[in-house]
Amino acid sequence: MKKWQQRIGNWLTEHLELPSDVVLELPRITTIGQIHAYIENHQGLILFSDNELRLKMKQGYLKITGNKFVLRMMLPEEILLEGTIKEIVFIED
Amino acid sequence: MKHTQGVFFSGYVTIKVHGHHPELFFDLCSRNGITVWNIKKTEAKTCIGNIKLEEIPQVKRLRRKTIFKVSFIHKKGLPFLSNKLFVHKPLIIGLVLSLFFVGFLSNIIWDVHVKGVHPEMEKQIEKQLSSYGIRPGAFKFKVQSPSKIQKQLLDDIPELLWVGVTEKGTTYQLEGVEKTLVEEGEKKYPRNLVATKEGVIVDMYVSRGQPMVEINDFVEKGDILVSGTLGEKEEEANSSPEEEKKDKKNELVSAEGEVIAKTWYKSNVNIPLKANYETLTGQYTNKYYLRSWGFSIPIWGFKNPGYEKTSTEIVDNPFRFLKWELPISFVKQTVYEKTEKFVDRTKQEAKSAAIKQAQKNLQSKLGNDAEIKFEKVLHEREENGKVKLTLYFTALENIAEIQPISQGD
Repeated sequence: MKKWQQRIGNWLTEHLELPSDVVLELPRITTIGQIHAYIENHQGLILFSDNELRLKMKQGYLKITGNKFVLRMMLPEEILLEGTIKEIVFIED
Repeated sequence: MKHTQGVFFSGYVTIKVHGHHPELFFDLCSRNGITVWNIKKTEAKTCIGNIKLEEIPQVKRLRRKTIFKVSFIHKKGLPFLSNKLFVHKPLIIGLVLSLFFVGFLSNIIWDVHVKGVHPEMEKQIEKQLSSYGIRPGAFKFKVQSPSKIQKQLLDDIPELLWVGVTEKGTTYQLEGVEKTLVEEGEKKYPRNLVATKEGVIVDMYVSRGQPMVEINDFVEKGDILVSGTLGEKEEEANSSPEEEKKDKKNELVSAEGEVIAKTWYKSNVNIPLKANYETLTGQYTNKYYLRSWGFSIPIWGFKNPGYEKTSTEIVDNPFRFLKWELPISFVKQTVYEKTEKFVDRTKQEAKSAAIKQAQKNLQSKLGNDAEIKFEKVLHEREENGKVKLTLYFTALENIAEIQPISQGD
């Protein structure tokens, strides 16, 4: 069932040029160099500390590491992260 | 970022959350629609972040369902600032009162200086001024402008030749010049009296000098009426030996006297048969306003007097603060009732009005001492609804004028 849904989603984004983050419910991550990361459409916060941010996605996790992390703003499904970003890792479970 | 914009004005607090994975509390908050920002993890079990003042009850409600410990560490924003300020209520009241007081005192006359006249006159001027309401302690916005005061003072104190009124902040400075009454110092100088215009002598009162003309004589302009040279007349006529002694001396005096002569005047007057003019009935109402930046707020006199025709006079007195004029002013508006009068004159009425008018004009030209008599209408014409008249007047007036005798020294 899930696979089938994803297939339709893929087809929609390819042929109708709909934004993939909306259709596939994937997070959209915007970074400004190393200093900012703007994450939309996430599914919830799992962990936040001075040097790590872990967010839930529909499938798996998003892990951002770095240091001096501050959450500049937090809205439902939106997070603005500030600090020095070292890496962004997608972890699938 | 617009979510946290203007947050200073509505106020915000910094909270400290303590517990296992404290960041999850902020996550919970944001899921419930509460804006949180500037979240920092200070220690493994503590996290700090900002929330809006108005959202504190919601946060408290959420916290009850969890095991986190929440404490407030900072309060920021205008609501807290103003709260803090209102703790010092006496200070604020004092500040407002003192501003009010300074404003009040700036609108009061503190001093009136009179310079340049002697003490007697000074007292008189001060008395006159206080009758206009200008005295130390009086309100300033009831006082007219300096130029008006100047004019009024000159009218009311005839001994003043000139007075200058300057307004320096809360003091009025007056500088006056008195009329120095010339005490006939010229008496010593020999002089004649000559005629200023032609006429027939009607009466003569000579107190000093030699009369050169007699009653019923016709004189031309510039003729000597009273001579300052005694014995002149006798010189001309064949004099008797007794008087010869005198004319040798030819004593010079300052001639003095009044010569009343009958003079003639012709005047042309135009008077319309139909006229309308406006007069004030004497009915008036006062209205008071506070005006600032073009807006007028009525404070007294809201009623419409219901006059059909009005003429308004506006006196604008700005409030002051120290030496500055505030943009607020106290405006007094006086509305006078006017009536329009239509006059439809017959020719006869127009004629008599014209004569009256001409006589009045002439009187003001000749002075109050002159006695004017209407003699006859020389010419009369009606044209374009107007009556044109040439009138003939006679006047009895003093025609004597001083003319010094040059002694040729």
